[in-house]
Amino acid sequence: MVALARKTLVYEWRRFLPAMLAVGFAGLLQLLQLALVLGIFGATSVYITGSSADVWVGFPGTQSVGSGRSIDANVESRVLMDPAVTRVEPYVWVDGDWRGAGETGGMSVFVSGIDPAADGLMFSKVLPPALRERLAEPDAVIVDRADLDKLGVALDQTATINGHRVRVVGISHGLRGLGGINVIASLDTARRLDNDAADNGPTYLVAKLRDPQQAETVAARLRGSSEFGPYTTWSAADFAHISVLYWLFDTGAGAGVLFLAGIVFLVGAVITSQTLVGAVQGSVREYATLNALGVGVGALRKVVLEQAFWVGALGLFGASVLGVLLLLLARSQDVPVVLGPLAAFACIALVMGQAAVSGVAAMRSMRRIDPATLLR
Amino acid sequence: MPSATAPLATPRAPVIEADHVCKAFVSGKLRTPVLNGLSLSIDPGELTLISGPSGCGKSTLLAILSGLQKVDSGRVRALGSELGQLDLRALEHFRLQHTGFVFQGFNLFPALTALEQVELPLNHMGLSKQEARERARRSLEEVGLSHRIKLRPSELSGGEKQRVAIARALAKEPELLFADEPTSALDAANGQVIIDILHTIAHTHGTTVLCVSHDPRLVAHSDRVLAMEDGRILSDRRHGADAPKEPTP
Ligand SMILES: Nc1ncnc2c1ncn2[C@@H]1O[C@H](COP(=O)(O)OP(=O)(O)O)[C@@H](O)[C@H]1O
Ligand SMILES: [Mg+2]
Repeated sequence: MVALARKTLVYEWRRFLPAMLAVGFAGLLQLLQLALVLGIFGATSVYITGSSADVWVGFPGTQSVGSGRSIDANVESRVLMDPAVTRVEPYVWVDGDWRGAGETGGMSVFVSGIDPAADGLMFSKVLPPALRERLAEPDAVIVDRADLDKLGVALDQTATINGHRVRVVGISHGLRGLGGINVIASLDTARRLDNDAADNGPTYLVAKLRDPQQAETVAARLRGSSEFGPYTTWSAADFAHISVLYWLFDTGAGAGVLFLAGIVFLVGAVITSQTLVGAVQGSVREYATLNALGVGVGALRKVVLEQAFWVGALGLFGASVLGVLLLLLARSQDVPVVLGPLAAFACIALVMGQAAVSGVAAMRSMRRIDPATLLR
Repeated sequence: MPSATAPLATPRAPVIEADHVCKAFVSGKLRTPVLNGLSLSIDPGELTLISGPSGCGKSTLLAILSGLQKVDSGRVRALGSELGQLDLRALEHFRLQHTGFVFQGFNLFPALTALEQVELPLNHMGLSKQEARERARRSLEEVGLSHRIKLRPSELSGGEKQRVAIARALAKEPELLFADEPTSALDAANGQVIIDILHTIAHTHGTTVLCVSHDPRLVAHSDRVLAMEDGRILSDRRHGADAPKEPTP
């Protein structure tokens, strides 16, 4: 079989280049947008995903980690009574006003009060034991590398939170927050920083299970007791999910992302289909000759579809190479980007879908192929 | 395929018959009649030329006889098939199996070599890869291009391009070969080569070649010349015969 589609693509690559660039850039935009959104909104659940707790206990109706309210400290004994639970620790969330050493003005910070023990659950994946040990010191705090400039501090310098003096004893990496700056302190320090008289218990209790697979079951089992005032439970995975979705859709970012994805898809598809239509128009007499010789219209359509496939595949290849480079660059600059296999697959499907839609649209222009027009 | 070089004297059934064919083109409110009840029959294994002034309806007639265009009224039979009764797919299949075309423009794909141009339609006829390539090679050899098979259209002269187009039609081994003004884009020498090739094809393969042209040079090389004017056949002359036959009513 003479590979008409491919040979034409190679011979007339200049004609097809705009389509490949359009598909490639559309794919790249989709990829970066998705990675950025997942990265940014993934940051809203870093408290959960960066910790090794399996079950979370908090105030009923909490939509995201940052909007929790305090619960009764006695819930801890109730949770500990469950045979599946091996460890429970409190987690205190305090909204703070940071004033650095320099004239940086007030900054809104989220203070996380955690158990600084070496086997503590909170932020166990983000803070190495040596770093968290330093929190045991009174008024010690850890801030993220990415936030140093904003906070106007360096290691071992002091600042104030809610009017209390704190000292930066360590620099973390990967704790960049969304909507505010994350500051880590010990439970004791955090309680001292809390000026809200209404807060008299922990914001959350987090529990480790003997078998993490049981998270759903244990969470359900721990729910439904009102002995100690209102509280509810989530498996860590559920709570992270709720938190990300809350940010995506309550901030309108989710709708924005979908809207932009739609626009990018459409623009790429229009450019690609126009290029393919141009290629068909350029060869309309040759196609008509083949049809006069008895080659069916269906076979001619396949040529266009195959060209669309190659345009998509080559565009995708370019987008992948550039995308990986850009993602690596973003990582090195602390820009939160995350791209899992599912998201990568979604991008591939989007690009190839775009090429397919363009091919089908371009096939419509083949209706003009009429061998009788060759006889004049 | 009909046997090669049968003597012309042997009466054989016509391969194409047109019976009171009418065709008009309508654009807006204006109706332009092109063919007015035209009838003719084309004999097998000959080079038949339809000549006449530009705009008299030659190309339209060729399109109708080859199944590329529908008639308004009248009937066309080709190789025993009633073309008016075939649908689009059946017509495509008929053309695939039985016809070859050569047009004024060469209509070659810029990306393909001469060999690939010829091979491409053969791929769709259900031939094996080897057979398609072998046939394509033979056809190109027959039109005298065996040394040019690797070249693309941009590297070929006009006459060579038309020979590739003829090879593309010939490789299908069609019973019917239609040519519309095959020489008008070429200079005298190249035109002469094309005429000779078409003549040879009719006589060595027994192919029925129906050629349409206003080029008077073709007349001397045709077995039969139908002179056309204003949508009618004015005269029907056989090569060698002096007296023009009256056209079939
Ligand atoms: N598709 C068409 N639409 C309208 N008029 C046409 C069309 N094709 C041909 N004609 C008209 O029909 C007449 C005969 O055309 P044609 O068969 O191409 O003549 P020839 O090939 O003898 O020069 C011309 O007057 C031409 O303008
Ligand atoms: Mg004409």
